[in-house]
Amino acid sequence: MSNARDIQVTPQGEGPPTALPVHGEANVLAGLGVSPGIAIGPVYLYARAAFDVEHRELAEGETEDEAERFEWAVSRAERDLSKILTLAREKLGEESVEIFYAQLLMLRDEALYQEVVHRIHNERCNADYAVMTVMTLHRQRMEASSSEYLRDRAHDLQDVQDRLIMHLRRGKHLSSIDPATIVVSENLTAADLLLFSRRGILGCALDRGGATSHVSIMARALGIPAVVSLHGITDTVQPDDRVIIDGIEGKVIINPDAETLAAYEIRQERYRRLLQAHKQLVPLPAETLDHHRVHLRANVEFIEELKKLDEFGSEGIGLLRSEVFLLMKGALTLDEKKQFRSYKQVIEAVAPESTTFRLLDLGGDKMLPVAHREQNPFLGWRGIRVLLDKPEILVPQIRAILRASAFGPARILIPMVTNVEELHRFRALLDQVKDDLKQDGHAFDDGIAIGIMVEVPAVALMTDLFAHEVDFFSLGTNDLTQYTLAVDRGNDLVSDLYREIHPAVLRLIKRTIDAGEKQGIPVSLCGEMGGNPRVAPILVGLGVHELSASPAFLPEIKRVIRAIKRSEAVELATRALLAKDAEEVHQMLDQWLGDHGCKLDQFL
Amino acid sequence: MISREVTVTNSAGVHTRPASMIVRTAAKFRADFWIQKDGYEINGKSIIGVMTLAAEQGTTLTLLFDGTDEEAAAAAMEQLFAGGFGEVKGG
Repeated sequence: MSNARDIQVTPQGEGPPTALPVHGEANVLAGLGVSPGIAIGPVYLYARAAFDVEHRELAEGETEDEAERFEWAVSRAERDLSKILTLAREKLGEESVEIFYAQLLMLRDEALYQEVVHRIHNERCNADYAVMTVMTLHRQRMEASSSEYLRDRAHDLQDVQDRLIMHLRRGKHLSSIDPATIVVSENLTAADLLLFSRRGILGCALDRGGATSHVSIMARALGIPAVVSLHGITDTVQPDDRVIIDGIEGKVIINPDAETLAAYEIRQERYRRLLQAHKQLVPLPAETLDHHRVHLRANVEFIEELKKLDEFGSEGIGLLRSEVFLLMKGALTLDEKKQFRSYKQVIEAVAPESTTFRLLDLGGDKMLPVAHREQNPFLGWRGIRVLLDKPEILVPQIRAILRASAFGPARILIPMVTNVEELHRFRALLDQVKDDLKQDGHAFDDGIAIGIMVEVPAVALMTDLFAHEVDFFSLGTNDLTQYTLAVDRGNDLVSDLYREIHPAVLRLIKRTIDAGEKQGIPVSLCGEMGGNPRVAPILVGLGVHELSASPAFLPEIKRVIRAIKRSEAVELATRALLAKDAEEVHQMLDQWLGDHGCKLDQFL
Repeated sequence: MISREVTVTNSAGVHTRPASMIVRTAAKFRADFWIQKDGYEINGKSIIGVMTLAAEQGTTLTLLFDGTDEEAAAAAMEQLFAGGFGEVKGG
């Protein structure tokens, strides 16, 4: 047996993290830690305030280049808006696009475009300054209106101005950005963060965003400590303020005093050592002290994440969200050939481990490729319900996955199943596709495993029946929790009722695992709770076989699993199932983590 | 060159969306198109220009058309204003 099991990640004599001194609570902002790690550095404010422009006089020969730079920014802005327009049309319907269409018209409007080019040449000023002065003039005219509503429309002009200046800045910003800064912004796109990461930023703090926002997933994939949902950090910090990003606890500390700074420097060092310990864990199995083996796999949305699988010791992909994956590769392409090429690339990168492809989970909060709106999308036309109604979407995807399965192990996961009949209809279609492929002479894995998402409570209650029909279960605990507790977690009024560790949810998980065990099929868990190391002991105790989470979360999960005993986890889970509510489970868990040495609480 | 007097009838006035409709309608015709309000004149084919009119409900605007298809352009524009850009007209 390896002695790496006894890895000591905690320097002797350190207090628990809750003892960190933070003086003057006013300079601490609480948010959501979406990418673990500690970053300390000066602020780089990437926000509206950062769009203040300076006047620069151009040299005589410079104006032509400057006009070209402006044209480049306009074409970039056009590309942005066209993309937004398409997304808005698909997601929100035709009426929502008017405003973006208007903004698109503004870009090449003579009152903007010609005017800016004129100023660049005649006043020899930089494009940023020309854009700002021209747009300010127009806005001032609108702001003179006696109608408040019409005065407010000046915002639409401001948006266009900001977008242009952002693009004018980008090239320059990226080359001049101090590599050791913390980016603070209202919001960022995943693409923005990717660009910034290439400049070596330390961390990221955003007003908006959630755990499953693309920018959060990207931050985890890139290993950039990030705190989101801070509501107002852009109004609170000044450029060159010093901040601490605590991506573990979801805190941002602005201008910390010396004592706080010192405490966090120690914490940062500890976290660094933890990462070192994680590295040593990579080749080791996720196995409890009493030899219960759990498989740790990755949830993947971006092609960039594939590189992280080996680094974080993932045993293949437990959940490839195909709708996001395809979307991130450009427009949501449903073309079979393109899908095939993408899937083959993934399978080959992951082999000999397997890749689980979740079929397009359209609907709910995800866009449909047709203009479509519902009163209650989460209870509406989504997942398999859409796919069975739209074979023109489903068939090319199954064909692409099957063809790619000739190049390595693959599994198919069906989202949002409610009734066995849906599964039967899917199987009939699958058989037909297989016959067609054989006739076309395509190679594929004829015995490809078919599983279902257990996310509708009706299915969780009937997993004993479904177990005879499928090759594996995958617990989608995000939706299972929403549906079981009747809580929309995106609704601020009730989101505190959203608790994945609610005993009702745990009972459905237990029921699913028991049904799987009885039939001898594996049960995986791919919701957010699968990535939470604090909850891992309960899940191990319930008997889950596979956990699938963002790659960056896997080493810490493994560390926890290797530090506990399955027998003790079972005892904890048994008590949790009998708890009266989520709060009781929470306290039980705190107590248990505290009692079970292994220094689990140091970074949880 | 012909001119027409129109009144803004929808309650929100000529905001971004109506401005976009005006410009897109004007773009279908070859005729040049200007809008005058209280001595201020803008190019009716420029969305920013139309927006800066900040024309509220009840405002009277003078529309000027010049070109071979000016009659058709004027008719289309009058219809657009009379219809209140498909918005609520109450006041």
